[in-house]
Amino acid sequence: MAFVFKKQIFGFMDLLRFKKLVPNRRKMLALGADTPLPKTYRVNETAHILHPGNQKAELIGIELVAPDTKTYTFRIERPLYFRAGQYATLGCRVGESLLSRPYAFSSAPAQGLQCIVSFTVKNAGFFSGYLFESAKIGDVFTVGDPSGEFCYEPLKDAKHVIALAGGSGITPFYSMAQAIADGTEDFRLTILFGARREQDIILRGQLEKLLSDRVRVVYVLSDEKKAGYEHGFISADLIRKYAEGDFTVMMCGPSAMYAYEDEQLAAFGLPPRRVKKEANCVASRDAAPKQYTLTVHIGAETYTVSADARETVLTAMERAGLRVPAKCRAGGCGFCHSKLLAGKFTIAGADKRRLADAKFSYLHPCCSYPDSDMELIVPQG
Amino acid sequence: MKKYDAVVIGAGNGGLAAAVRLLQGGARVLVVEKHNLPGGFATSFRRGRFEFEASLHELNDFGTADNAGDVRVLFDELGVTDKIEWMQIPEAYRVISREEKLDATMPFGVAAFVDRMEQYVPGSRASVQKFFDLAEEVRLAQAYSSSVNGNTDSKYMVSRFGNFVRSGSYSVNEVLAALKMPKKARDILNAYWCYLGAHCDDLSFVHYASMVNRYMMRGASMPKMRSHEISLAFVERIRELGGEVWFNTEAVRILTDEKDGGVAGVVFADGTQVEARHVVANCAPHVVYGKMMDKVPAEEVRATNARKFAGRGFSMFLGLDRSADDLGIENHNYFLYDTMDTVRQYERMRTIADNDVQATVCLNRADPDCSPKGTCMMYFTTLYMSDDWANVTPQEYYKVKNSVASRMIDRFEQDTGAKIRDHIEEISVATPMTYARYCGHPQGVIYGYESQYWDGLMPRLLMMGEDHRIRGLRFAGGYAMRLSGYSSAYFSGEIAGRQTVGDIKREG
Repeated sequence: MAFVFKKQIFGFMDLLRFKKLVPNRRKMLALGADTPLPKTYRVNETAHILHPGNQKAELIGIELVAPDTKTYTFRIERPLYFRAGQYATLGCRVGESLLSRPYAFSSAPAQGLQCIVSFTVKNAGFFSGYLFESAKIGDVFTVGDPSGEFCYEPLKDAKHVIALAGGSGITPFYSMAQAIADGTEDFRLTILFGARREQDIILRGQLEKLLSDRVRVVYVLSDEKKAGYEHGFISADLIRKYAEGDFTVMMCGPSAMYAYEDEQLAAFGLPPRRVKKEANCVASRDAAPKQYTLTVHIGAETYTVSADARETVLTAMERAGLRVPAKCRAGGCGFCHSKLLAGKFTIAGADKRRLADAKFSYLHPCCSYPDSDMELIVPQG
Repeated sequence: MKKYDAVVIGAGNGGLAAAVRLLQGGARVLVVEKHNLPGGFATSFRRGRFEFEASLHELNDFGTADNAGDVRVLFDELGVTDKIEWMQIPEAYRVISREEKLDATMPFGVAAFVDRMEQYVPGSRASVQKFFDLAEEVRLAQAYSSSVNGNTDSKYMVSRFGNFVRSGSYSVNEVLAALKMPKKARDILNAYWCYLGAHCDDLSFVHYASMVNRYMMRGASMPKMRSHEISLAFVERIRELGGEVWFNTEAVRILTDEKDGGVAGVVFADGTQVEARHVVANCAPHVVYGKMMDKVPAEEVRATNARKFAGRGFSMFLGLDRSADDLGIENHNYFLYDTMDTVRQYERMRTIADNDVQATVCLNRADPDCSPKGTCMMYFTTLYMSDDWANVTPQEYYKVKNSVASRMIDRFEQDTGAKIRDHIEEISVATPMTYARYCGHPQGVIYGYESQYWDGLMPRLLMMGEDHRIRGLRFAGGYAMRLSGYSSAYFSGEIAGRQTVGDIKREG
């Protein structure tokens, strides 16, 4: 060492100071309060309202909003607060299966703080069919965390949003319209709402109460020509008629609609940041029926279940009654993140896994179809 | 009831390292994690065509195979180094401070750093070189201390590492003043202070010097696939060694033995229990003693109450639809301050209204291919030194977080001249609420207990033995003896794991 460090006049005084570090800390620790340590903290309590986790939800209202669509209203145990456009999973036991599906909130964020949430559901599949036919007032479901990024982002989105809604894809925009009306959100929303016929337009009465200089709805009927309605599909010309200047496109509807709208939007040359699509649940695939065996490790337990090549790994596990994590059902949220020990699979659509997930053989069962027998480690649901 | 030698609560960096160490020591180990992913803060997330790093700015003390830092040596021993693809960060940092009109970009390498400092501050060379000489002695003294498990021979310490002992009780500013370092050089050298989260009148010199020295000696590293790659590599290793990892499994209670008050088992949120006489808790003592144990020794309650929470985290993540070159983002790692008076800066960081500090990374400057061609991604982090976020209601929450994020963008554009606001393709913002949600830390703290003068690195290491008061319970992670930060958390896990192996062996 080239030099001798010295802070005080005599080096030994620096040494003595060093020796006091321990007695000094010992003294400070003993001076702490003897009050019991807190069980909770304010930031954590607010976090628990923003992300309350799964909770019980009592069905308190069912309203028919179109011939094949109902709004279900629930009273939840704890308040929650979401961003308009987000979804949550709604779940219950159906027969032997523990099922849940993601639905956009169709209620306003502010109502969540009063422990009331609603989902507007079209009768279109197994779970919605169950809701439509069997759910009754007083039934108890589970409602999960507010999730998803299909929301208005003031720091990146244009002040004007052109919403392209197909069928029950109107629900996140209905929530946004309510949030604009009550001052929670601040942007201009023009909804181009595609339906087949006038009678298929859902939530119409509710939407019309919200119309203002900030919220506008244009109905576009594909199968009917009627005065006061646009006719056809939501084409480039139609978008051009209602969009001027800088705008962000948000679309929610069936996959076929997205394919059509992508073509229509090509003419506008919008950068990717100006177009958002809500993801759709992965459906069964068009393949020959074939049975495989899944060996599933959850915690200390191991289960053997059968899977059909046409269904996702998640669906097979749910059908067998396993308690497994499920949220977006579109491969994007990563909530069902599971480790593959053996076997082959095919991902539906784009691979949305993290880079290291692919490297270490993790998969998202919600968007993966089995191509062989498989062995997996799955977190408990 | 299932039985394990040890349960690791929390699969954060400390818990993961502890689990591997325990398994290497022959223990039967269960790791439980309440989230569905490992790593705690060490993770990543996808938004559109971007995969964002959640927290790691750069890994300190890792180095390369032929210039290995202590973390690489540890990872080698734990058997994870080769499961991860590594890359090196190109330069140390650019620090910009408004009050002093300071704008300095510093390289890695001790000699290069001293040379660059001399360019910025003529006449600084001797004092800056002395800083690194001292820092190197600190490093050697720490290596000696860990080689004897903290049971150091004080005569040997004084004779061999006299400068370390003589400087060991002082703050950063006290030592730099004693070295007669010019003010501007101190300002540039102190840029890293926000990584440790205590101001330089309070922050222990040896802690700071040790970190700076390691950055300069070894450079800084990143896993190619974000820190998620490290976390998954650890899980892979744990399973290779026969350990179990259960995700979505929250430990809610630690059962204690009637006779000695020590650990007897762990209860999970779904009510199931496992038997174990040892727990490594990769979480805050505040959480363990506040809600996971029935009877907490009075001494332990006092000691925990005495401690001060360090910074509460806030981060903004941006995916931009132009390249870093196009947007004028020149550097990998920025520190933007109002002032280099760290005491005053620390005070300003107490409130949402006053805090404009940011530590910002453009990952493409380290790895041009980390996002699609023609894009780049950035993350911006700050700390709050009080619980001002507790005053934000759920209704105000999104507005407040967006306003802070917007100020961060303005600040970055004003201070660096880059233009980013009109090119945001993806944005995600994490607040103290986010950190509280994912990791369960009180008030959204991300830095554990603050490195205050009396509770700094040296006294914590020297008191490791007596801080262990409950049989079978040891702590790892940012609240433990090595303080916060990635490297520290891995080391604390290694120490807690190794000590628990010793505890198990003594029990026979």
